[in-house]
Amino acid sequence: MADLDSDSRQLLAPEADREVLPGPMNIQFESSDLRPNRPFHVEPTNIVSVSGVLQRVSDHASAMNKRIHYYSRLAAPADQALVAPDHVVPAPEERYVYSPLGSAYKLQSCPEGSGKNTSLVTIFMIWNTMMGTSILSIPWGIKQAGFTTGVCVILLMGLLTLYCCYRVLRSRATIPSVDTTAWEFPDVCRHYFGAFGQWSSLLFSLVSLVGAMIVYWVLMSNFLFNTGKFVFNFIHHINDTDAALSTNDSNPVTCPSAGSGHPDNGSAIFANATGLQQFERWWDKSRTVPFYLVGLLLPLLNFKSPSFFSKFNVLGTVSIVYLTFLVTLKAARLGFHLEFHWFTPTEFFVPEMRARFPQLTGVLTLAFFIHNCVITLLKNNKNQENNVRDLAVAYLLVTLTYLYIGVLVFASFPSPPLPKDCIEQNFLDNFPSTDVLSFVARIFLLFQMVTVYPLLGYLARVQLLGHVFGDPYPSIFHVLVLNLIIVGAGVSMACLYPNIGGIIRYSGAACGLAFVFVYPSLTYILSLRQEDRLTWPSLLFHALLIVLGLANLVAQFFM
Amino acid sequence: MVYICRWALPNTALKKKVLLMGKSGSGKTSMRSIIFANYIARDTRRLGATILDRLHSLQINSSLSTYSLVDSVGNTRTFDVEHSHVRFLGNLVLNLWDCGGQDTFMENYFTSQRDNIFRNVEVLIYVFDVESRELEKDMHYYQSCLEAILQNSPDAKIFCLVHKMDLVQEDQRDLIFKEREEDLRRLSRPLECSCFRTSIWDETLYKAWSSIVYQLIPNVQQLEMNLRNFAEIIEADEVLLFERATFLVISHYQCKEQRDAHRFEKISNIIKQFKLSCSKLAASFQSMEVRNSNFAAFIDIFTSNTYVMVVMSDPSIPSAATLINIRNARKHFEKLE
Repeated sequence: MADLDSDSRQLLAPEADREVLPGPMNIQFESSDLRPNRPFHVEPTNIVSVSGVLQRVSDHASAMNKRIHYYSRLAAPADQALVAPDHVVPAPEERYVYSPLGSAYKLQSCPEGSGKNTSLVTIFMIWNTMMGTSILSIPWGIKQAGFTTGVCVILLMGLLTLYCCYRVLRSRATIPSVDTTAWEFPDVCRHYFGAFGQWSSLLFSLVSLVGAMIVYWVLMSNFLFNTGKFVFNFIHHINDTDAALSTNDSNPVTCPSAGSGHPDNGSAIFANATGLQQFERWWDKSRTVPFYLVGLLLPLLNFKSPSFFSKFNVLGTVSIVYLTFLVTLKAARLGFHLEFHWFTPTEFFVPEMRARFPQLTGVLTLAFFIHNCVITLLKNNKNQENNVRDLAVAYLLVTLTYLYIGVLVFASFPSPPLPKDCIEQNFLDNFPSTDVLSFVARIFLLFQMVTVYPLLGYLARVQLLGHVFGDPYPSIFHVLVLNLIIVGAGVSMACLYPNIGGIIRYSGAACGLAFVFVYPSLTYILSLRQEDRLTWPSLLFHALLIVLGLANLVAQFFM
Repeated sequence: MVYICRWALPNTALKKKVLLMGKSGSGKTSMRSIIFANYIARDTRRLGATILDRLHSLQINSSLSTYSLVDSVGNTRTFDVEHSHVRFLGNLVLNLWDCGGQDTFMENYFTSQRDNIFRNVEVLIYVFDVESRELEKDMHYYQSCLEAILQNSPDAKIFCLVHKMDLVQEDQRDLIFKEREEDLRRLSRPLECSCFRTSIWDETLYKAWSSIVYQLIPNVQQLEMNLRNFAEIIEADEVLLFERATFLVISHYQCKEQRDAHRFEKISNIIKQFKLSCSKLAASFQSMEVRNSNFAAFIDIFTSNTYVMVVMSDPSIPSAATLINIRNARKHFEKLE
């Protein structure tokens, strides 16, 4: 047919250059194409090795790729007939960056190699992601380690984790044979250690996520309880004088653990005696409030896509800024109370060097943790050559923030009436529930945690179910079971062992063992060995790092 | 005034037809192009209002493949009836008709040629656009086609494709399709129709056409049994039987669970793309062997209507052995057809 011939002649010229495309099957749409189609890139799948390693590309996307490729051969390039509409091209992967106890949010996807963020924005993003709930336990950690030791440990851990983060950042560059542009650090572990690397990095990542979610549940119960108590007392004009140890001036600081079990036994005279008892029965920090949270949070965990929650990321920054302001104000009012006793504890002060400092290192491992997504965060940096510098500056800022809050709270803790040992694992607990400033802080943190909790649940679900079942949402039943397990762990910890410092240090040391100490060092040693550049000092230093990581974990159980 | 002349058709009784019908714009041309690996010809054949004004006469050439419109001044314009020259399953020829479109002229033409169009029809595939706003009208045209079928080829198989399903939201697709299917089944009585929901942007189109082809093959069950025996004898991992023109999978045998459920369509697309490349060099695709350290795959002509693909996971077996097996099997299978 004359029509067919003329069409086939027309197709010959533009087809010719599209045929000799080796390598990945890159679909490039004509620039004259008026529709804003995204490029749809499918990595080449390795059909030779039949190992069980999971494909990066879903079958659906791969089939769509072949389809689009074939259809593009059927019509002239200017013909709009067989151009893939936007709604069938697979959506770009949702990338979330998170630090278990910090913030979690969805990253704007950007085409490879063209980051748009200035250094300042990148530094802020790293700081924002790392900063989070762990700040509440830093003063307690300093108390456990002793003041001088604590400060030194914070500085040293900052340096150590920064170096390991640098190693993570550079880990992809040592793999020449494979295209690693879309890789994150767990992919590097999989490359070096095979299936064991993949599964162990999944396990440790889950340990950190589940640990963080338990901490959040305990804290949320705590904050909700205190908020409820404040509101109740405010409404019923109850002047709640705790039986617990407390300072008597206008800036009360309490020592809840030194008091008896129920601080409200035999409290001041008030109008509605039975009303308060009723309230206390139904509003108990460890017996009822954790369960009330289930009704709020369990439905939120079942959402398929939590992108709605990642919009509230700004609450995290606001909370930290407010906490800084709160601490500064309190410190200004309370003044400094520091005395230096090197090895012996006194009635009110702790020694400068204590054998319990591993507890601080455990907490700090999770406080400085960003190794799982630092590669992704720095990809968007406009000037990639400044990556290391920006990372170092961000770490410096994080260290300074932790030091500031930790030192200020520790130093301003009113030591003559109250022993320093009273500093709680959550330093907000040291303020009575009637204190307005800390009430506001608790509200902020409560809201922030309620929005981050579903995100963390989503990340845990994607990682676990995605690796085990291949599908992040196999069925509502699987998801519900997983969510019930996580929520159950949170509720039971909130009822039985609500010591967030303990939970943080155990999960931090465990997760940090893999991602902070062992894997970065091991991959570096292996890559040096492959290139025959391994020297004794380097080997010894990195082996020492691995030993330190192990010691960190072991010491949590003994100290 | 438009004159429509009648003429005597040559004897086309030997060629059985597959009618692909539907409203204009429902996606038939794209569908045909994708399934049969034809280039989409440029859309020059729509009648414009200007022509309608000056229409003088209609001439249809003897093989019903083109028609010419002559206006009062004597200008002639030739149009191509959507007539594919692809032989499909041996003796079937595909005809594409716009049914119930805007062009009243085409409608008149269509109505006057009804008996010729609907004679010797083996299969009627009617395409519905799921997004169409004129459901009543679509059903009306569908029914008139069915009447014509009932009169002229009462033994024809009827298939209805609810097309462009990708434009419907995913969670509503099953519901909407079930509704349409019920309506169509009801309207089609006493004829039986099979309904499929399709979209060119997922595997449903390929699967629907594979099912259609599967139902058109005579003694397909026997073919499948023999295929299974063949596969077991030569110890193949998987054996596929493709229809020759369209590379639709007619039947397959696999001895263990395969990971990729989309592999049939992918293979089909890859081979059709390769065929397109071959045809530019005026060469025609005949056979292919893919081999590496883990497997060997052979694609070859099998019978007059089919291609076979044999996948062996034991690469130590020499190609020649498998090719001899395939050649011997070919003789056996040809007797079945």
